[in-house]
Amino acid sequence: MIDPIIVVANIIDGILMGLLYALVALGLSLIFGLMDIINFAHGDFVMISAYLAWIVAINFMVDPSVTALITVPLFFVIGLAIYKVIIEPILGAEPLIQIAVTVGLGFVLQNIALAMFHAEPRSYPAPALNFGINIGPITLVAAKLVAAAVSLVSLFLIHYMLTKTKFGLAIRATSANRMVAPLMGINVGKVYAVVFGLGIALTALGAALYMTWGQVDPYLGASFSLLSWVIVAMGGLGGVVGVLASGLIVGVLEALGSTFITPSARMAVVYLAFFLLLWFRPRGLFARR
Amino acid sequence: MAGRELRRYFATLTILTVALALVPFVLGFNQYYILLAATSLIFAVFVVAWNIIGGYAGQLDLAPIAYVGIGGIVAAQLLKYYGITPWIGMFVGAGASMLLAAAIGYPTFRFGIKEVWYALLTASLVVILNNIAHLPQFLGSLDHYLPARTGWYYLIFSDYQNLYYVILAVLVVTIVINLKISNSKTGYYLRAIREDELAAEALGVDVRKYKLKALMTYAGIMGFTGYLYIVLQGTYSYHTFDSPTSLTIAIMGIIGGLGSIAGAFTSAIFLKTVEEYLRSTIGATIPGLYLLIYGILLIVVGIFKPEGITALFNWAKKKIGFDRRGA
Amino acid sequence: MPDAILQVRNVVKRFGGIIAVNNISFDVREGEILGLIGPNGAGKTTLFNCITGIYTPEEGKVYFMGEDITGLPPHKIALKGIARTWQKTRPFKKMTVLEAVTVGALLRTSNVDKAKRKAEEILKFIGFPKEKINALGKDITLMNHKMVDLARAIATEPKLLLLDEVAAGLRPHEMDRLAGVLRKINSEKEITMIVVEHVMRFVMGLSERIVVMHEGQKIAEGRPEEIANDPKVIEAYLGTKPV
Repeated sequence: MIDPIIVVANIIDGILMGLLYALVALGLSLIFGLMDIINFAHGDFVMISAYLAWIVAINFMVDPSVTALITVPLFFVIGLAIYKVIIEPILGAEPLIQIAVTVGLGFVLQNIALAMFHAEPRSYPAPALNFGINIGPITLVAAKLVAAAVSLVSLFLIHYMLTKTKFGLAIRATSANRMVAPLMGINVGKVYAVVFGLGIALTALGAALYMTWGQVDPYLGASFSLLSWVIVAMGGLGGVVGVLASGLIVGVLEALGSTFITPSARMAVVYLAFFLLLWFRPRGLFARR
Repeated sequence: MAGRELRRYFATLTILTVALALVPFVLGFNQYYILLAATSLIFAVFVVAWNIIGGYAGQLDLAPIAYVGIGGIVAAQLLKYYGITPWIGMFVGAGASMLLAAAIGYPTFRFGIKEVWYALLTASLVVILNNIAHLPQFLGSLDHYLPARTGWYYLIFSDYQNLYYVILAVLVVTIVINLKISNSKTGYYLRAIREDELAAEALGVDVRKYKLKALMTYAGIMGFTGYLYIVLQGTYSYHTFDSPTSLTIAIMGIIGGLGSIAGAFTSAIFLKTVEEYLRSTIGATIPGLYLLIYGILLIVVGIFKPEGITALFNWAKKKIGFDRRGA
Repeated sequence: MPDAILQVRNVVKRFGGIIAVNNISFDVREGEILGLIGPNGAGKTTLFNCITGIYTPEEGKVYFMGEDITGLPPHKIALKGIARTWQKTRPFKKMTVLEAVTVGALLRTSNVDKAKRKAEEILKFIGFPKEKINALGKDITLMNHKMVDLARAIATEPKLLLLDEVAAGLRPHEMDRLAGVLRKINSEKEITMIVVEHVMRFVMGLSERIVVMHEGQKIAEGRPEEIANDPKVIEAYLGTKPV
């Protein structure tokens, strides 16, 4: 019989991780909802920015979370650049070609990392928040708590931006009807570019938080990519609330898989969820505009 | 395709086959080069077969190595533990792969999964199989070896020429299958599906049935050839289900030009040869360099010349005056 | 009295809280050209899609040649003998005109050469310019595309052809030409037609009978002259009672 305390601890861990996953997946969701492009390389951006966070942390001897101050704005700009150079030219192309280009992008990112850092995992040796906080019989890693808190705040800020600001309105309008949006005075190209940049910036934020306890190797992207796709497939077009809810579910699913099957099966549970979700989810989500 | 065009294709195919058959002689029977040639040739089989699902049916299938792996491992295990010759085993492997394709494809197409979600699903399939194969109940963590025997019964030889010719035969058959499909009702229907599923359906095309047909044909060819792939690799393990290799096959298909047999063939041969060259020279110091180049090539092709290598062929055809299409 | 080739009986189609088609019934007589008109949002396209299998109605039935075809998928509907054209053009961009029509012809024969010959015949029948049959779908004009759309639909040898706002975007002389082709198809190939349309001049001149829809319901049915003077119809279009 499995100790119920361990189950609860794992579920809480799942919730904390779920918030982080939601943060990362939100970028994917915004981009997909707006441009119908699923960035195959989304998780690989997490991976690359995780390496960057590690480099900055090591060189300046700061906690990885601090590196976000540099990496997030940097990746916003990188996102804008990638949008302009790679994404914009293929907006009108056949879907297969669109996906292929982002697959290529993922390949490029993975193998740049492989060439520069080789395959051994890297992590920051002395993170500031690597201690446990005890709540009754359960010990929580402080770093994860902070990551979850930051994620939650960020999600809230973006939700606020989407619902209460003029730019947020422009984003939602363009998502709803991209043909009419320009008639309302919305510069669609600018909206696309900024949202893409934002999506990539969010991966950098997630990566910086993750590096406060985790380790990075060139294949980290695969996990984050899968988690993001599942979250988007589950309800990711419902704005921040949908992504948040889905993120929590996925985080808990992963934790339960780890608890009740084996730790290495955690991804398997998520994959299974992905398959079942794709097969039994109502058609509407996948119809192209 | 008019009768004249078809005859031209078969003439080209014959010339190509003869040329390829002469390769081992040209290479002076140097085993390293023949192994390289055989590897390029087997990837040509993979990419030409992938063209059926990717080029004709227009589905971005990222799981080719799943079907190769299942078919190959089934045949290898049948030989290793039951002494069954791969001449039977390869067909059983093909059957196993087709079964997997049907199991995945039927619900996938029935629920209308397409485009990016199909790509994600198939990419996940390779990872799932990798993890399942890794389990101790299946292949575990070790490398598995084929029996240390040689001869036609085992399709294992002390040198690589015979294997090269067997692969060449498989390639010719695969190309003929593609040609037959291309010029048949199935070919027309698949192209219509790729163009516009809704319009095709309104014309009476049973979209799900034809997609499944394309998937199973491609999976069958991959599964059949799997054993030959394992012989070339020397060993098999859960690593056989390798995602980068799987994606590479699809990438070669796109760079070659979707729907083009010549493009698929050329792309595979050319890229694989370059890859091997890079791997043997700079590869040790820069791991993954050739994959990086594939990624860049794919992005470039996708943005500037989505028709891939066929754009080159069409340009050449125009120059020689073969282009009859009016405006 | 000619038999009804299509019978729509009490069809209801809802989308969430909205009732797009609200208990519609009418017959289409064999051999006729029936016009289906109504202001925007009347539910014409939804009804169209219910007949062609893209939607399944919540209630009601559709009978074709006496057989219940309600809820059948589009490819089976085509097999039964109902074909359609598209309002928003759906060309086969990378296939030639001839190849596109061949796809349609392949429904009734598995022999590609036979299908191709039939495709050529049909293109000739509707007057498609011969020198353009090897042009790619992405390279032809709108009018030519509508002809191709028509050709590939009739290549499936339908008994009933549904036309979805086929006159949209055409210039008057093109519309006249198209109307002529449709009449020719109707009489020489004996294909019954339902013409869903917004362009009055086109549909009034072409149809023998007209059904008028408004807010999901049938509000009038009859000959073009009767419909044109029907106060309910005028009110539906103009929003005010006729003076």
